[in-house]
Amino acid sequence: MGDSKRHRILMVSDFFYPNFGGVENHIYLLSQCLLKLGHKVVVMTHAYGNRSGVRYMTGGLKVYYVPWKPFLLQNTLPTFYGTLPIIRTILIREQISLVHGHQAFSTLCHEALMHARTMGYKVVFTDHSLYGFADVGSIHMNKVLQFTLADVSQAICVSHTSKENTVLRSGLPPEKVYVIPNAVDTAMFKPAAERPSGNEITIVVISRLVYRKGADLLVEVIPEVCRMYPNVRFIVGGDGPKRVRLEEMREKHSLQDRVEMLGAVPHAQVRSVLISGHIFLNSSLTEAFCIAILEAASCGLLTVSTRVGGVPEVLPDDMIVLAEPDPTDMVQAIKKAISILPMIDPQDMHNRMKKLYDWHDVAKRTEIVYDRALKCSNQSLLERLSRYLACGAWAGKLFCLVMIIDFLLWRLLQLWKPAEDIEVVPDIVLSLDEDRGMSQDFQAFNEDHSLR
Amino acid sequence: MVESCISNKIYSYKHECKWPNSEAADVHSIIVRKSRSKGFLVFFSALLILANAILLFLIKDKSIAVVFWSFIWDVLIVKLLLQKPVEKESVVIMPALGVQLETHYVSGNIIRRFVPIDKILKPVLLECVTPVTCYWSLSLIVQEEAELMLVFKELHPPVKMLVPIWKALCAATGSEGSLNTFTEDGPCC
Repeated sequence: MGDSKRHRILMVSDFFYPNFGGVENHIYLLSQCLLKLGHKVVVMTHAYGNRSGVRYMTGGLKVYYVPWKPFLLQNTLPTFYGTLPIIRTILIREQISLVHGHQAFSTLCHEALMHARTMGYKVVFTDHSLYGFADVGSIHMNKVLQFTLADVSQAICVSHTSKENTVLRSGLPPEKVYVIPNAVDTAMFKPAAERPSGNEITIVVISRLVYRKGADLLVEVIPEVCRMYPNVRFIVGGDGPKRVRLEEMREKHSLQDRVEMLGAVPHAQVRSVLISGHIFLNSSLTEAFCIAILEAASCGLLTVSTRVGGVPEVLPDDMIVLAEPDPTDMVQAIKKAISILPMIDPQDMHNRMKKLYDWHDVAKRTEIVYDRALKCSNQSLLERLSRYLACGAWAGKLFCLVMIIDFLLWRLLQLWKPAEDIEVVPDIVLSLDEDRGMSQDFQAFNEDHSLR
Repeated sequence: MVESCISNKIYSYKHECKWPNSEAADVHSIIVRKSRSKGFLVFFSALLILANAILLFLIKDKSIAVVFWSFIWDVLIVKLLLQKPVEKESVVIMPALGVQLETHYVSGNIIRRFVPIDKILKPVLLECVTPVTCYWSLSLIVQEEAELMLVFKELHPPVKMLVPIWKALCAATGSEGSLNTFTEDGPCC
């Protein structure tokens, strides 16, 4: 029960608001639920354009937008030791007890975890995606991951498939990896009061139109389904490099009145697009966990998806129809979905989803992981170096060298800017007023910071 | 009349109340303390470099250019590290008139900026994040200005020195600051 102490957590990732995505939403919603449980949460990310410095979000969530320029796909430039001073300053001034990094593809996350370990803090890592093993990019990424995870306190994955993938890529012992699935905000994704009636069956697709999300499969599947079922229409939301192919397919088969292309759909409008349909189609070629199908199920849509990655673990069998990532198989799956559609009750589906997935539950489970992480013993530099040596013949020695230099730089920094000189920040005392929602104090704070 | 004084290794804070019997000026100053050990260290290392260069010239027969360049290097180091142009920065609060921000340089130069009281919307304490560090700064939100006006342009005093100045500014400008947050937890000590 609630006898665990209050944690002071630093969430680190390159991906956060104002970017929208799975990782960003996960960090934000998890942080909000942890704040409600009474912990202190601070987020660190890189500056997004003009948005630089300290910002406050709902519930007193403090975000540090550190002015390091992103260089590739929203990732900070990896300088190995460049972020050590600012991370040390943030860890000391906020009196952090635990650092939680998100996403293997985030360079800021890897650097923060490395520096936090050097300084003796406990570290938790969450992996959100599946990666390959064969191509050059993946091999390097996996080596970096092996380095970071060689000395992590605990790790979290979003599905059992993801756990298997992470353990194989990084060589981490499986006992250290916890599986905590993502959840969905069922209060926001409610089914429509009345289902769209009429003879038409609407199939909704909302995803980035890229190769990874199976846009090429859609190009094959849509004309076939339209041919077989004259009363089916498609709504395609999202944008990307493959949009051109879909437009061409529309022209070629004269499906302008049956396939509606919405372009990029802002996150706030996803629900209104979903409730205009009966079936949700997901054609991803790889997925660690798929929040999109959770959102669709919460809105009462029957899902048709490719059987890849962690997707089979997400929904109960009666809410989803799975198919191999092959056009013929997918068309068969859509056929089956259309036949079982009359038996689906959207409200019933929504109620079941409410019981199955809840961010507060995710936060409680994450709290257990934090408690375990903090119980891990403190290790000296030599003990930690032995873990890095096990990473490989050459790689092990290189990792050891990197960590030794990091340790020396940290000591140098301690001499140059002693910890006593770094001022501790007072905690925000949020006195929630039921009537007004937020107290005057906090509003004053908010106004100050929104000007920068 | 000196009312309060806080100091740390680099700065010291002094609060004076001129003409205490009337509603007059309140002066808050942040003074840069002279650090003798730093000066000694810099001069010593400069001397070491020069001595090394002269030795190289005399014994190892290197050209005079070595001595020349090491002398230039020494001058640059001394100028960079020991240059303390700012002696102190002060805030003179004149209730009902305005706030005067002064920067006193070692060379005797004084730069003053005056802000009328009705142009100040609110004094704010903000955290500034740079690529390597994060520090507190005190600024004024001024009417019809897009940018915040920094009260201490050159110096970065610690927050325990900024809080009394911020409270005094709030009182003078009549703006309701979030005093509760600070008094409950207390600024860092």
